[in-house]
Amino acid sequence: MERVITRFVKALRERGVRVSPGESMDAVHAVSLCGLSKRETVRSILRLTLVKNANEIPVFEEEFERFFTTSSSNVQMHQDFGDLINSLIHVVEGSLFKSNVESFQDPDDEKINILVDEEVTEEDLENLLDMGEDNGDEEGPEIQVQLNRNPGKMEAPSPSEYRMENVPSVAFYQGYNNSKNLAFTPEELVDMQEVVGRMLVRIRKDIKRMKEKESRGKLHVVRTLQKNYRHGMIPFLLALRRKRMEKPRLVVFCDVSFSVSHATRFMLLLLHTLQNRVVDVRSFVFNRDVVEITDRLRNLPVNCLLETIDRGDIVNLDDNSDYGNVFLTFKREHLESMRGKPAIIIMGDGRNNYNEDNEWALEEIREKAGYMLWLSPEDRETWYRGDCLMELYGSYCDRVEVVKNVDELSKVVEELFYTLYDHNDTRTWKNRIKPAREEKNYDPASYYIRPGSDAKPAFDPEVRRSW
Amino acid sequence: MITESTVKTLLSNGGYIADEAIATAVFLALQMEKPILIEGPPGVGKTGLAKTLSEVLDFPLVRLQCYEGIDEGKALYDWEYGKQLLYTQLLRTQLDTYLSVTSDLREAVERLSAEESLFFSRNFLVQRPILRSFLSEKRSLLLIDEIDRSGDEFEALLLECLSDFQVSVPELGVIPALQKPLTILTSNGTRMISDALRRRCLYLYIGYPDLEREVTIVRARYPDLCEILARKMVEFLRAVRELNLRKPPSVSETLDWANVLTILHATALTPEIVASTVGVIAKHQADLQQVNDLAAQMLA
Repeated sequence: MERVITRFVKALRERGVRVSPGESMDAVHAVSLCGLSKRETVRSILRLTLVKNANEIPVFEEEFERFFTTSSSNVQMHQDFGDLINSLIHVVEGSLFKSNVESFQDPDDEKINILVDEEVTEEDLENLLDMGEDNGDEEGPEIQVQLNRNPGKMEAPSPSEYRMENVPSVAFYQGYNNSKNLAFTPEELVDMQEVVGRMLVRIRKDIKRMKEKESRGKLHVVRTLQKNYRHGMIPFLLALRRKRMEKPRLVVFCDVSFSVSHATRFMLLLLHTLQNRVVDVRSFVFNRDVVEITDRLRNLPVNCLLETIDRGDIVNLDDNSDYGNVFLTFKREHLESMRGKPAIIIMGDGRNNYNEDNEWALEEIREKAGYMLWLSPEDRETWYRGDCLMELYGSYCDRVEVVKNVDELSKVVEELFYTLYDHNDTRTWKNRIKPAREEKNYDPASYYIRPGSDAKPAFDPEVRRSW
Repeated sequence: MITESTVKTLLSNGGYIADEAIATAVFLALQMEKPILIEGPPGVGKTGLAKTLSEVLDFPLVRLQCYEGIDEGKALYDWEYGKQLLYTQLLRTQLDTYLSVTSDLREAVERLSAEESLFFSRNFLVQRPILRSFLSEKRSLLLIDEIDRSGDEFEALLLECLSDFQVSVPELGVIPALQKPLTILTSNGTRMISDALRRRCLYLYIGYPDLEREVTIVRARYPDLCEILARKMVEFLRAVRELNLRKPPSVSETLDWANVLTILHATALTPEIVASTVGVIAKHQADLQQVNDLAAQMLA
């Protein structure tokens, strides 16, 4: 029985269910307590002991059905299953074929006998015989036999078994090429939730630590005395003043024009999955005009909102993006209502379609921001081609990043959160940004080189100065 | 001697209709002395299982409600500072006589340090739920409710308690459990529980029951409700669950509704009755309309 369970565990592991040795020992113990009399009981025992996650239950059920199905005696037979495969492989490899066939017929060899009796169906044997006749076509029958007997091994793993990072990026690229079909599938949403979930776990611990550190302030005398009243005013327990913590503020601009739309969609989804947990986000979408969508994102499911955007109800999708106009409008209508010093993220390719650049507006926005990050889906090499104003706008940002898939996006956003929480106090942001600016004056060429990378600067900011 | 089928009977005597998986889980937990981690949507009877078990098995129920920021001082044990201080005050007068036999300071310190452990003894240890259930004379039922509300640190804290059934107090050493309690952890799945904790438990997922079981549950709790109406009601609620509501009605809502229908002496399910009692089923304003629409469609 132990061997059956071990084999079953192995099959489960191949399907991506993580089962520890301790759990399989539990399973053996549990089965020995309850006995094997009822199929349903065994099923629930194995499910209780081997599966530790609700998502894995369907895989378990499928595998259980497959593994314990053919006949009542199969439990024993599966032990010899590996041997069967091995012998079959030997068969295909050639020389041993004859002797094996002989041993199939040898009544003394009990093990093989069992195989012939129960495990190997007539069809399989026919296949074997065919193989003897026609050695030229080696692969067909053998693989067929394997497929019949062990589908789990041969199947490509289902997408859910991959590390989640892979899936969204694939989806991302697909969407990027085929931007007509933009709404998220439920799978993508789930994937995104997972990516964000994992990211949150990583971030949260550090955030907590940082918060604890930051919330230790001066001694709160009154509360300390109150707290220690029962200890005869001996200050056993200290009460400290807490610094008022505020959520970091983010302002996000997303270009929804055709060229970058899918990337921005993921950005929106990402930020608003995070919204209520760690940050305060205000979101804007723009094309020619800029419109705030914070409330809609909060109240509508993401998919509904995307449909609304796709219909062009919020901004006219037929327009070409006009960054200059966007910055100007934003400066006029929203800049006054920016509280604190938000971090501003702009997501777009910086292609202005030869409109007025209005860089002074961006400069004024920059003055009000604590931090400015530009994410572009285009490679640095293409930034100076055509109507791209990345080099101009980029010089106002604290950081410019190329982000092409969800992985990179979530990495950048995660880094951003560290930055925000590390320097939650906006005043420290300011101090932190100053040295960076001075540095820029000393050596403008190195500004776009990220520390640690040896990439060439994509452009020379001096150019702008000489205009 | 308890067997698996008696567990089922026991539970149904207590008014809890268990399916195969639940009964097996309880049986194994009793036999293997392992905790059960129960996950599932809210209101399917996770906590209810624990309560019923404590009744029918006659294990005293020790409940620990988790919340964000729960720590060992709230879950395992705490020192009773006040009592310690009070004792120091009271014993101060005794001190002179106690030390009068000593001739010099060194001797006095030695004599005192021999009694040092006095103040960190079990006398001054406040037992919090986990320790209390470990030290209970009778085998108890420890319910750690909504573990997903607590933090990672608390989960880590539980690892020792749940795998070895012991509590380490630095001042006293390891306190093993007198009787290993039957432990039940519940989670609504708002946060992923760590694999380390999952491995130490039997994992039981309680979803929405199937039609027959849900009807049996309703009938067991409200025998006055006629069979046909109960079935109709459950069928309707199962359709409501398919609606993608913000808060789908759970078994507890089914029972509430059954109660309401009994009180109203309803004889048949009509859209009007649904409309007047919809607040029992749907708990969000946005959901109400959807339920009413479905009722008009299904029951007209």
